[in-house]
Amino acid sequence: MNSSLTETGPEIAGQRTGDEPALTYQPHVDVCDTGSSLTIRADIPGASAESIDVAFEDGVLSVYAKVPARELPGRVLRQEYGIGDYRRSFRLGDGFDGAGITAEYRRGVLLIDVPRLGAVRPRKVEVRVATS
Amino acid sequence: MQTFRAGFALPLEELRDEMDRLWTSLTAAPPLHGWGTERRTGVFPAVNMRDRDDAIVIEAELPGLDVGDIDINVTADEVVLKGTRPEAAGQPGDGSAAEASVTWLRRERGTGAFERRLSLPVAVDASRVEAQLIDGVLKVTCPKAPESQPHKVTVRTAS
Repeated sequence: MNSSLTETGPEIAGQRTGDEPALTYQPHVDVCDTGSSLTIRADIPGASAESIDVAFEDGVLSVYAKVPARELPGRVLRQEYGIGDYRRSFRLGDGFDGAGITAEYRRGVLLIDVPRLGAVRPRKVEVRVATS
Repeated sequence: MQTFRAGFALPLEELRDEMDRLWTSLTAAPPLHGWGTERRTGVFPAVNMRDRDDAIVIEAELPGLDVGDIDINVTADEVVLKGTRPEAAGQPGDGSAAEASVTWLRRERGTGAFERRLSLPVAVDASRVEAQLIDGVLKVTCPKAPESQPHKVTVRTAS
């Protein structure tokens, strides 16, 4: 099965994007195609589950996570990363089931599953043991 | 008569093997410090560190890690963060049977072992260090040793 994935927006992962009023970062992602769905994992540390928006419209999957400012008071000894919102979107193409998308957030990682239309999902069938 | 130079007897097979080797490295997870073109410039995890009146506070982004995946060792003048970021379960590379049928479209999240040593500017009390991990953000608070705390001197006026 052919997979196509096009980045919409700035290309470089982990970089600040310039068109936002506040600081916004592109999260690093892993995307894999399992045949029946696309699985996307995004590193968005510092976000909380309630502040994450996942939208699918016209074949474009977009993720936006608002990250509350967290100040570290005191004299700066090291400043190796900035804190801001996360935003990234991908054009997935046709054939995906927007209504079937599921998302889960755990330990700073967002996991999104985008099923293909008409894909046969593995179904768990309970087996009952007959007693004589 | 056509002759072949030694080493070029099976050029197509050699090419195929070379392509396989290249492909393997292309589809591997990136190292934790990135491939070198991104903001991850050689260190993992990136940290922010502050000098407060009463403590040195260190914050690090460690998405995907559980408390048990991180070792924090504190001595009087050094903090060592150590651990491993594993492949997520169900992903290619985790060794499961589903692995073969999966195609990677993006692979940017690094995996592997890390160790970061941070020297502290003042002595801290290693026995009172506190750490919390919330939503992939680690915060380590190292209270300063009594001798490193700012000491206020009251000036008495001679009468």
